[in-house]
Amino acid sequence: MSLALVVAITAVAALVVLAGLASTVARRRTGLVHLAGAGLLEALLVVQAVLAFARMGDGTPADTPTFLGYLFGVLLIPVAGVLWAQAERTRWAGTVLAVAAAAVGVMVWRLLQLWETTGA
Amino acid sequence: MRDRGLGRPAEAAAPGSTGPARVLVLLYGIFALAAGARAGVQLATRFQEAPLAYLLSAFAAAVYVVATVALARGGRGGRRTALAAILVELAGVLVIGTLSLADPAAFPDETVWSGYGRGYGYVPLVLPVLGLLLLTRRRGA
Repeated sequence: MSLALVVAITAVAALVVLAGLASTVARRRTGLVHLAGAGLLEALLVVQAVLAFARMGDGTPADTPTFLGYLFGVLLIPVAGVLWAQAERTRWAGTVLAVAAAAVGVMVWRLLQLWETTGA
Repeated sequence: MRDRGLGRPAEAAAPGSTGPARVLVLLYGIFALAAGARAGVQLATRFQEAPLAYLLSAFAAAVYVVATVALARGGRGGRRTALAAILVELAGVLVIGTLSLADPAAFPDETVWSGYGRGYGYVPLVLPVLGLLLLTRRRGA
């Protein structure tokens, strides 16, 4: 886990939240801008999952099952958010994506917290 | 081009609007996942440490799953089931929240509902209120 990556993921997630809320306010459905943002978010999450998985060791992190659950569970959220948002025809499509991105933003910090709690 | 990039203009919400309900279903889905995963891990790895707290986690997860499915299905039956699940959820977060603050020793490990859901940004406290607002508003419409 790296703090820089978590900060980068949070920043991208925040942008996706803003883009999603903006389209709800503008009474629009989601478009390529949202897709690109969510795609970038997902790519960063995959990089994080690979790096963190490679660096795991004995007792790091202490709560390994929860950590792995979050590490791989978070990968599903942007995908679910995009699929859901694209199926939604009303202006709430953007808010659906915004909720998903916000959840990712919270989950990566929880991941970092779990990572820093070592068994030693 | 603009429509492709920024999204096509939205269609007007149908009567008995589904949009806000979708958002709520997603929120409930995330909580069903989070609470379910947490309960699964707690029950599988350290059940003996705090059986009551972990069974409560599992119960909370089940309530979220029922609420998610009922809200997603909609209709009269779905709404009635959702209402029941949300009332149980509201009672749960208030009772467990109060007990966990009054008697922390009884709750050695956190549950989703501990401290009124403070471990989850108090979303567990806000969620049932939003759910009730949505259900009652649509009933009135």
